[in-house]
Amino acid sequence: MSTIIAGLPLVTIVTFLPLAGALALAFVRSDSPRTVRAVALTVSGLTFLASLALLAGFNGSSSLPQFVERASWLGRGLDYHVGLDGISLFLVLLAAFLTPLALLSSWRAIEDRVKEFSIFMLVLETGMIGVFVSQNLFLFYVFWEAMLVPMYFLIGIWGGRRRIYATMKFVLFTMFGSLLMLVGIFVIYAAYHRATGSFSLTIGDLAAAPLPPGLQTWLFLAFALAFAIKVPLFPLHTWLPDAHVEAPTAGSVLLAAVLLKMGAYGFLRLGIPLFPQAAARFAPALSILAVIGIIYGGLMALAQKDMKSLVAYSSVSHMGLIMLAVFSLNFEAVEGALYQMLNHGLSTGALFLCVGILYERTHTRLIADYGGVAARMPVFSGLFLMAMLSSAGLPGLNGFVGEILCFFGIFTANKVLAALAVSTAILSAAYLLWLYRRVMNGPLKDPDDDRLRDLDRRELAVLVPVIVLTVFMGLFPGTILRKMDASVARTIEALRTRPAVAATMNPAGLATSEAARVTGSER
Amino acid sequence: MAVLALAPIAAVVAGALAALLLEAFLKKKAHEAAATAAVLSLFAAGLLVVRSWNLDLAYFGGRLSLDPLALLLMAVFILVATFVVLMSLGYAPRRDVNLGQLCGLLLLATAGLMIMVSSTDWLVVFLGLEVLSVASYALAGLERRDRASSEAAAKYFLMGSFAGAFLVFGLAILFGTSGRLEFAAIASSGPAPAALPLAALAGLGLILTGLFFKIAVAPFHMWAPDVYEGSPTPVTVFLTIAPKAAGFTVLLRVLSPLITGSGTAAVFGPAVSVVAALTMFTGNLAALRQTRVKRMLAYSAIAHSGYLLVAVISGDGPGLVFYLIAYAFMNAGAFAVLAAFSPNGTPGASLADVAGLGRRHPWLAACLSLFLLSLAGIPPTAGFLAKFYVFSEAVARGHVLLVVAAVMASLISVAYYLKIVVAMYMQEPKSGLSIERGDPALSLVIFLCLFGVLELGLWPGNLLTLIRQGLAGLF
Repeated sequence: MSTIIAGLPLVTIVTFLPLAGALALAFVRSDSPRTVRAVALTVSGLTFLASLALLAGFNGSSSLPQFVERASWLGRGLDYHVGLDGISLFLVLLAAFLTPLALLSSWRAIEDRVKEFSIFMLVLETGMIGVFVSQNLFLFYVFWEAMLVPMYFLIGIWGGRRRIYATMKFVLFTMFGSLLMLVGIFVIYAAYHRATGSFSLTIGDLAAAPLPPGLQTWLFLAFALAFAIKVPLFPLHTWLPDAHVEAPTAGSVLLAAVLLKMGAYGFLRLGIPLFPQAAARFAPALSILAVIGIIYGGLMALAQKDMKSLVAYSSVSHMGLIMLAVFSLNFEAVEGALYQMLNHGLSTGALFLCVGILYERTHTRLIADYGGVAARMPVFSGLFLMAMLSSAGLPGLNGFVGEILCFFGIFTANKVLAALAVSTAILSAAYLLWLYRRVMNGPLKDPDDDRLRDLDRRELAVLVPVIVLTVFMGLFPGTILRKMDASVARTIEALRTRPAVAATMNPAGLATSEAARVTGSER
Repeated sequence: MAVLALAPIAAVVAGALAALLLEAFLKKKAHEAAATAAVLSLFAAGLLVVRSWNLDLAYFGGRLSLDPLALLLMAVFILVATFVVLMSLGYAPRRDVNLGQLCGLLLLATAGLMIMVSSTDWLVVFLGLEVLSVASYALAGLERRDRASSEAAAKYFLMGSFAGAFLVFGLAILFGTSGRLEFAAIASSGPAPAALPLAALAGLGLILTGLFFKIAVAPFHMWAPDVYEGSPTPVTVFLTIAPKAAGFTVLLRVLSPLITGSGTAAVFGPAVSVVAALTMFTGNLAALRQTRVKRMLAYSAIAHSGYLLVAVISGDGPGLVFYLIAYAFMNAGAFAVLAAFSPNGTPGASLADVAGLGRRHPWLAACLSLFLLSLAGIPPTAGFLAKFYVFSEAVARGHVLLVVAAVMASLISVAYYLKIVVAMYMQEPKSGLSIERGDPALSLVIFLCLFGVLELGLWPGNLLTLIRQGLAGLF
């Protein structure tokens, strides 16, 4: 069995199976939504199973990309080159895990144009996974941009009242950053060609030939802008509440759980390894923005009247913590950030699913319209509470592990910022529990309202796996952290000791970096 | 054997004459016959172009030479002309356009284009340009019952003659100072701009002005939106792609030695860069304000001239040719979808007209969306890869700021291309835009463009290799 799996191009299968499913769906009759839904769910379920094979075969002791597949594509360094290391592995799993659940969650919510919806969801899945597995900068950019298209349609067609405004804002904000990143890619491409005489956009090659510091500054800024918009880092977050509030539930779930992670992932995969000096130089400034985001997001969440925008602002706050940890640039913090990325994906995904479940019943998201829901929906309120506690970082659940690791790391880096960042724990407990009290407890708003029935089997099948996973990750974090250790360590090590390593291990490496410096000064 | 260099042009001219004669003498039912003759002659010309690859044929003492650049561009013209004929088969009878005349004029214009790209002598280029211009003035006005079409023809004629006059005047000055009219005369006359006589510089400036008029770059673009919008849609396809492609090829041949030359670069590099940036932003910002789809795409065509100028500035022949080919597919595709709309009497579909198209005609809307995404430069389409190659080469040659301007202009373009998509998918239908069904030739064009946009976006391998090998010695 294992030999059969070993021979398959697993990463390619996991990446493109959803796309193949989407193409197949285009030829399914659109007047039978049941078939469409079944096909979409099966395809994304199979994708998740295939991604489990990646987990099973992953060797946690190696820091290098595994399951590497490489093929010449466009020539001149623009190759098809995919693989997974400890940083990408779990993000791929997260995307593959949540897509089928998001599809399942929208079986009743989406009744119009089910076929198109399923197609866009599957294309989005390919885009998300593709970003995480790309080992070539060109391929990374292709997935990064291509993924905007399905999300644009998901928000724009199935979104709320202000959906068109929200989706255009989402696309234009994101593209503004990514187009400048594209110019950065051109510069790297040209600089590498000048320094070495050969074309390459392989991330490993680029990281091994560091650029001159002056050039790094500009390039880091270009890349950081793209990633900071995606995260989103304060003050570039304004697209997020709009997009989240207007998107359909499934869109919000994937947006919060996976798309936001791409920004943080970009810093870890590209920002730090390719521009180590510049990253170290700008880390303090970015850390301050992250802290502002933590506090601002938390306070805004307290003030929201709409449940969805409350969760959206909580995302701003939580992503701020993740970014602060990333910019602390030490092992504990980065590992904590990575773990927290998964936690945020699960807990915020679960929260959006819960809000979606309530919305389907009552067609309102205003907190003031609710009250005493727990009496009618005991099972739901229990799961909702679990999702909240996971988001707030209650010990025993996943959020706690991630936050503790983050705080340890941030504390060693900067005590003042750490002290400010701890406010996230207080703020998130405050806005979430207050939300719970207002929605779930108290008297029923309308005692005759019989729309509030408890979860059916489909909804249980959506929520329970997420909650079970949050408990598992809270109790056994080691199983996951162990697979991340080596890759995180390598990212951090590279930051500290690269010039020495390059000099002792590879004399040619020194020569290339010298050459890069020379050409850099010519520019 | 050298006379074979004339063969592709001769084939097209023969086709033009055949089409016009069939139209004149067979009257009534000859429309299809004329179109058939046109397609056959284009096919023959295509074969001849393929046969001439790598033969380095030349005639008129080298003044007409089929180098790889010329042949690649000829192939593009033949492709576009074929698209136009196929699109017109259904469109022309519907809008009371004389198909035989359309085919004849189209082929004459194509012959002019072929002459333009295959010469390095100003006089021959001018000859080709005039053949092209006269034919295209008439083409623009073919939709006789439509006032916009007549206006387009008049405007095109006036502005075209104006530009032609500039060009001739410039040529006269140039000839007066150097006594020669080859492109090389300018480049070889001196390394530094100081060494170029002031008069020659002025002549060159006038020539460039004339050319800039023809390829519709800002600030010489004022005529373009009206002409593109007013012309019959298949003719618009031709006008937005083919003359521009020829103009850029001439520019590349003339300017690349001047811009890359050490002395002249200081004058021409910044000047053309400013024109490029201005063109992108004028085109895109103006398109943002349009409510009629065809006019929006007309402005988008202007913006694309700006991107193409980037390739000229960096002297990037392969990038320019690849961009032109990709642009031919995506632009022809987008206008082909517009040709399928048949609003009753209105000059063009507005954004409100296409509202809800995604629900009523899912395949057509999906195709138009894909063409628009490609025009916007979103991967994995041909438009993205074309921009990637042109811009990355420009950065490699040090034009970073220009590329930053170009990508910011692309961002603006995303906003209006997506406006069309918003209307098609995210708004409910308001008026009943009727769609022409059962036009297999038009469907074929759309399908081919779709294929081209995806193929060039995902696996352009062979074509890229061909272009790079062909142009290796030239640029």
